Amino acid sequence: MKKSTLTLLAALTLASGVAQAETFQEVFNKHRAMYGKGHEFTYEGKTYQTYHPEEVEAMAEPSRDNAEALVASAEAKRQDAAAVGYEWRFTGRILKQAQEALAEERYQDAMDLAAQAKYQARMAIQQQAYAEENWHLAVPE
Amino acid sequence: MRRLTALICVATAVTAVSGPVAAASQEEMIELGRAVYHDKTRGNCISCHNINDPVANLPGNQGPMMVAMKQRYPDKRKLRAQVWDATVANPLSIMPPIGKHWILSEEEIDAVVEYIYQY
Amino acid sequence: MKTIRNWLLGAGLVAVAPLALAAETGFTLETVDPEADRLALQEFYQKRFPGVPVEEYVNGIYAVDPPSREQWDALMEFPPYEFDLEEGKVLFETPFANGKTYADCFENGGIGIRHKYPYWNKEEGTVKTLEQEINECREANGEEPLRWKKGAIAQISAYMAWTSRGKTFDIEIPEDDPRALQAYLDGKQFFYAKRGQLNLSCANCHLQGSRVLIRADLPGPMLGQPTHFPVYRSKWGEIGTLHRRYEGCHRDSRSVPLPPQSEEFRKLEYFQTYMSNGLVVNGPGARK
Repeated sequence: MKKSTLTLLAALTLASGVAQAETFQEVFNKHRAMYGKGHEFTYEGKTYQTYHPEEVEAMAEPSRDNAEALVASAEAKRQDAAAVGYEWRFTGRILKQAQEALAEERYQDAMDLAAQAKYQARMAIQQQAYAEENWHLAVPE
Repeated sequence: MRRLTALICVATAVTAVSGPVAAASQEEMIELGRAVYHDKTRGNCISCHNINDPVANLPGNQGPMMVAMKQRYPDKRKLRAQVWDATVANPLSIMPPIGKHWILSEEEIDAVVEYIYQY
Repeated sequence: MKTIRNWLLGAGLVAVAPLALAAETGFTLETVDPEADRLALQEFYQKRFPGVPVEEYVNGIYAVDPPSREQWDALMEFPPYEFDLEEGKVLFETPFANGKTYADCFENGGIGIRHKYPYWNKEEGTVKTLEQEINECREANGEEPLRWKKGAIAQISAYMAWTSRGKTFDIEIPEDDPRALQAYLDGKQFFYAKRGQLNLSCANCHLQGSRVLIRADLPGPMLGQPTHFPVYRSKWGEIGTLHRRYEGCHRDSRSVPLPPQSEEFRKLEYFQTYMSNGLVVNGPGARK
């Protein structure tokens, strides 16, 4: 009896360890999915808001320098997604719009569009990594 | 620090704008949701989910019909989460992760949820 | 207490499941078993559409959806690809500037060979498709290559398929070159992996979503898909190649599509055609 209780305890400890292994991204997504943007949540004792990192970047002062930097980093991410063969169809188009906005000195628009493109590129890269690990689950036995 | 202040300002501004708008125009939101739901280039939800609305044209049936939504999702936020990313519940789902992949904006998702929650 | 024990049991099962799966599905070079894949796929469709004989799958959606079949039968009274077939025959037989013809490039003069494509080319270390070799034949004889998706290349390919009608697909994966099996495995992975902003795999529509409406469209089963290409597609209003369709599907997932005859698409064709081994060539076809 004692032994089995111990085993149970060990198993529970292990299981709770597994439960806590919910990644920041998973917790973030759960809250963003239910509440949308700007909702507060806590993860491992710290408080966060449901803005994508790219959206936070787009909240910097809308200046030429900031817009140029964000557009450039979004373009780099797009290229990373293309390099793994998973570039999404409209990311390039959104980036083009961002560049047009930049040329017309509409810096906030440029930053918002670049943030969207950069987020898409990050998701595409994630999607490729996930597919690589999990594609076999779809194969009929 | 300046950046942080800017961030807080923007966040406040967003709340200030979206709060009253959402509250003032539930009907407008439903109309937006309806447009997004049926428009091929926006949500195109109708391509897989039938709905008992006279504007429904050539509905598909890859997914369940939009009925008894309040019974199926007593918590509206759970419904929103399902629209946002259906692969959480079923990784093989054919349903695109509407929010996670930024197929629709968060505002459009809110609107679609309001629209379908009537059914 | 009982709940906890059950729950633990469940957790244990979850932990064990991936290992069990790894042994069966064959998704590594060591474990992949193309014949097992092919039989599992047939079984999948036989459960999904009971009573439809396997050999019927060369007819795509019309094999499994009687209302569509009725419309299609009416359409096939005057097959829309007839003109392309005639044109393809003329193009096939017209000598190049140097006096040679396509017949000089292919086994058996290019007649009745469609069922052997695509194949693994050991010397080049790659999958070769029929369209690819049509263009290689042209270039070897000093002619410009044709564009991959439609027009002359689809017409020539259609004629070559027509001369092979009724022959059974027999795609081989040579055992003396592991790269061939790897190419098959890559094609298989491509088919099942989700991609694009819409997060769709080929399997989403053509396996689990086959014969289920997307608006007014019914996706056809994957089994038998390559047997009837090239096709005259009403939506195109003309004849087109398999890779044109691949590119369109890929784009529809909201991916930046790969180009026709890219290595990935050729591997996909290799996998898909192997899955159709045992079925007959019935190209060219007509589709909605």
